Amino acid sequence: MPELNCVYRHREFGDHLTTLADYERAGGYLGLKETLALSPDDALYAFHRSGLRGRGGAGFPMGRKASFLPKDTGKPTYVVCNADESEPGTFKDREIIEHNPFQLIEGMTIASYAVGCERAYIYIRGEYEAQAQVLDAAIAEAREAGRLGPDALGPGRPFDITVYRGAGAYICGEETALLESLEGKRGQPRLKPPFPAVAGLYGCPTLINNVETLASLPPIMHRGPDWYAAMGNEKSPGTKLFSVSGHVLNPGNFEVVLGETTLRELIYDMAGGLRPGREVKAVWPGGSSVPVIGADSLDVALDYEALNGVGTFLGSGGCIVMDDSGCIVRASWRLAQFYRHESCGKCTPCREGTGWLANILGRMVHGEGRGEEDIRLLESLFGRISGRTLCPLADGAVMPVQSALDLFREEFIRVAHEGSPRPVPMTEAPVG
Amino acid sequence: MTVAELEEHLAPIRHEYADPRSLILPALRYVQGEAGWLPPEAMAAVAEATGFSQAYVESVATFYDRLYIDEVGRYCINVCVTLSCMLRGSDELFEHIADYLGLDGEGTTADGMFTLAKVQCIGACDRAPCLQVDSGVQLGPLEPADATCLIDDLRAEPAPARYDR
Ligand SMILES: Cc1cc2nc3c(=O)[nH]c(=O)nc-3n(C[C@H](O)[C@H](O)[C@H](O)COP(=O)(O)O)c2cc1C
Ligand code: SF4
Ligand code: FES
Repeated sequence: MPELNCVYRHREFGDHLTTLADYERAGGYLGLKETLALSPDDALYAFHRSGLRGRGGAGFPMGRKASFLPKDTGKPTYVVCNADESEPGTFKDREIIEHNPFQLIEGMTIASYAVGCERAYIYIRGEYEAQAQVLDAAIAEAREAGRLGPDALGPGRPFDITVYRGAGAYICGEETALLESLEGKRGQPRLKPPFPAVAGLYGCPTLINNVETLASLPPIMHRGPDWYAAMGNEKSPGTKLFSVSGHVLNPGNFEVVLGETTLRELIYDMAGGLRPGREVKAVWPGGSSVPVIGADSLDVALDYEALNGVGTFLGSGGCIVMDDSGCIVRASWRLAQFYRHESCGKCTPCREGTGWLANILGRMVHGEGRGEEDIRLLESLFGRISGRTLCPLADGAVMPVQSALDLFREEFIRVAHEGSPRPVPMTEAPVG
Repeated sequence: MTVAELEEHLAPIRHEYADPRSLILPALRYVQGEAGWLPPEAMAAVAEATGFSQAYVESVATFYDRLYIDEVGRYCINVCVTLSCMLRGSDELFEHIADYLGLDGEGTTADGMFTLAKVQCIGACDRAPCLQVDSGVQLGPLEPADATCLIDDLRAEPAPARYDR
């Protein structure tokens, strides 16, 4: 099985690396050691050479983003770790934080050395209070050991990390909304440009990366960017975490080398497959904000390009699986409700449009649909929402619904006429 | 909760932020931990301790789901109803809990012990269907009977010294 525990180092070492001593015994902080032997620019170049792409959803090359930060502005530079992890179906960062927090801390230290940051922040969703406490404890231990604090990057070269708790808002995972929230404001996205690299936290140059992205840096710097770049394929090198949930027998997180595993292997070999007699009906492979794909796409390789090739995105790697007992309209309705709830309300097409999507799908599911008229109404909405808003949340709301309608049109029409009976939940469903 | 107490709590972290506005969220979370929710006095205390107007503090607080501007019960039972949980029975779990608490959907029990809420994905879809008591560990997968036991256990507990919201 092409599974390699690079970010999930703890899995090789008894499942927990929550003390500094254990982490160092497992090769921890060797990446920082290599990094400190380089100049900051050479460290940046190493990030670039590794080919590491952002793991939060957009897949932007990490080294390139870090190189956008202007130098010598006279202002402080900040590194911010995005630990908001609110994308439905995604719980990969949670495992890094719970089981391997020092690898994130080391990764942030490495990134901060390269961009010249003295204080970094971890913005963690409020619902992860238990996980935030693990981080607090790990940071305190690292400070005690001098891994953080006044001499963290060498004598007289300070670096420290602050954990900042959100308070329940999906949109705060969007990088500019996150910065607003961290600045003590309502978490509403900013107009871009300027991008955070130039004017981020408190108007200063800021590098924002996902937990998994930053936790990938220690092995990259320890074993070398070429080692990392050699894994996977040219445009999608390295390993990626996938969270698998829904109608699978063994939900969980899996780290795979990009391009070497198919979606079918992820679902059937790693996540335990489905109940006997059931077949895959629909998969949202990269969190809920990506187009849904059907059973005929299961042999797609898990990497950025291959998933684009079947009309969807790798996204956050939150893979939600629905078997043939599920109703696609009910699932789409539930997602539309999510986006309606999470729209920050700043743009009319998103605020109103997500409400319309949820209302129409809801009445269809409840047997109060208006037949073909509702299908036409849905179709007329997509273009009035997509691409007309400040941030991509609205596109994320449309994509799963629009793709579902394309793929399962007959079922939508049937439900628009007849409604959708409530399914028997998985745990109680008769097999076969 | 006095302003002096809140200031004392904020003092050690002030230097971590270039702008004191960043203290508003930690301050709101702290006072909510004391009172369980954010009554006007709590907002006023945050305003005074951080140096921003109460209207501004309230405008920030209202943005976030887990900051409670209305009174809630001693425990908030937050049941995830997003897709992965729905596929594994979250709606049935929610209805069972509502029935057991004598509630007609979301709301607070008459004795003020529990507030039941449907929440969006809490990052524990591998434990679906799951719930969180306040912002505690994500619990799951839960059968209805597990939820009944959980509620009975919570009912037997003394009031917490601080709320874990
Ligand atoms: C609505 C929305 C929600 C997002 N939520 C998250 C999130 O929870 N975690 C995350 O890392 N990135 C999230 N992102 C992506 C971030 O905006 C940003 O691209 C990311 O933090 C960059 O880090 P990366 O390059 O390491 O992926 C979200 C984006 C949008 C539009
Ligand atoms: S698209 Fe939606 S979430 Fe994004 S800024 Fe506009 S209203 Fe807010
Ligand atoms: S869908 Fe319920 S925890 Fe993610």
